[in-house]
Amino acid sequence: EVPILISEDTVISQPAKILNFLRKQKYNADYDLSAKQGADTLAYIALLEEKLLPALLHTFWVEAENYCSVTKPWFASRIPFPLSLYLPGRMSREALNRILLTRGGPPLYSLTEVEAQIYRDAKECLNLLSKRLGTSQFFFGNTPSTLDAFVFGFLAPLYKVCFPRVLLQEHLKQLPNLCRFCDDILSFYFRLGVSGHSPAGQDSVDANLQKLTQLVNKESNLIEKMDDNLRKSPQHPPRKLTTLKLAAGGEESSPPSRLSP
Amino acid sequence: LCSQAFLQMCNLPVRVVCRANAEYMSPSGKLPFIHVGNQVVSELGPIVQFVKAKGHSLSDGLDEVQKAEMKAYMELVNNMLLTAELYLQWCDDVTVEEITHPRYGSPYPWPLNRILSYQKQWEIRRKMKAIGWAGKSLEQVLEDVDQCCQALSQRLGTQPYFFNKHPTELDALVFGHLFTILTTQLTSDELCEKVKNYSNLIAFCRRIEQQYFEGHDKDSSSSATARSAKRSLLR
Repeated sequence: EVPILISEDTVISQPAKILNFLRKQKYNADYDLSAKQGADTLAYIALLEEKLLPALLHTFWVEAENYCSVTKPWFASRIPFPLSLYLPGRMSREALNRILLTRGGPPLYSLTEVEAQIYRDAKECLNLLSKRLGTSQFFFGNTPSTLDAFVFGFLAPLYKVCFPRVLLQEHLKQLPNLCRFCDDILSFYFRLGVSGHSPAGQDSVDANLQKLTQLVNKESNLIEKMDDNLRKSPQHPPRKLTTLKLAAGGEESSPPSRLSP
Repeated sequence: LCSQAFLQMCNLPVRVVCRANAEYMSPSGKLPFIHVGNQVVSELGPIVQFVKAKGHSLSDGLDEVQKAEMKAYMELVNNMLLTAELYLQWCDDVTVEEITHPRYGSPYPWPLNRILSYQKQWEIRRKMKAIGWAGKSLEQVLEDVDQCCQALSQRLGTQPYFFNKHPTELDALVFGHLFTILTTQLTSDELCEKVKNYSNLIAFCRRIEQQYFEGHDKDSSSSATARSAKRSLLR
């Protein structure tokens, strides 16, 4: 399953379990939040999953031009042959399936109507996030929390990946506070090309963007199936690409434990 | 119940009618729907918008940030509570056999009742699989419900409604779900108990029931079925 966290000898999968593990290790980004803010976090995460995720899945996996020119070659390059021929196609079909099952159905009868509706919902969701963020640096003041990590995980791939069809991306770029939010987190916590982990600049950009995409897909069933197949394959390298490590060389995944950049 | 509560909060007269083919009459295939003059609108979201277009709204007094918060909480309720209710009704084998199949198929003769309820069950299970709930156990689902109720309870605090003095769509939605969970007979009381842990949520439901439903019992002309559906929390 992706993402997974490898800490010494422990392997944990699924974002919820990863966050629980980190909290037990006394890393908690929500320590300073009030009960109401904790409740707000849960509500906004539900909003992201219901309103934004279908359009993101569509942009990455269903929109033909995007999928063929960006997503498929990108994922295929990181998956060992011969799975690279099969898995991306399957992930694409499953994304479409999920969108149709959860958002399709009357009165939306054709795929184009469903697509129009999910993009309308996604734009509304982005507007709501922008209004909620306002002029603050993070969603709950000056220090980041779990909600910031979730929002970043959803927004950053949309913001940074160069797609040919850029409908939702254009809308996001019209919301300057959300763009500033992504840029801030990228520069504070994902410093590129600093450590010895990534030899070439472009490689480290790709690796970071891949991690961000994995954060986006974290709730999707597609990833569970991919893991089953990877486990069956005899090589070791697949383990490395499913590890979520910060470029700074730490062992933590989101949320970051340091309070200041 | 959410839509009914919302309409009554807007002070609009409403009559509840039960029909066996309701799902087919609805333009989106989903319930509930309202029939106003020669227009038919289904599901809470579009009903709220339709009522707003006619000049009635409960959330006009909110600023932009509060509106964003309200929408987020409504998604939380849909995401967690509604999905948990569907899971319990259609994916928990005991409940399905003893309660859901008989209830869903009751208006139809055999074998149609079995066929239709199996079809619905298959449809719901497919959807659960797509969103990742199929692999969850009943305990995990109940944990999620607990987390959702905790969030709602923390947000409500000691206020009478979620946005202080006046009810909004969110209050109607939460009331609809919680009231149904608290008053529906199931094979076990676990779901009900989870909600009962939060006394401010129970007080909230009671308050809305007293304010918007008991006064209407005397002068509404709803059918007998609807009256029996208005089970009181005070019992």
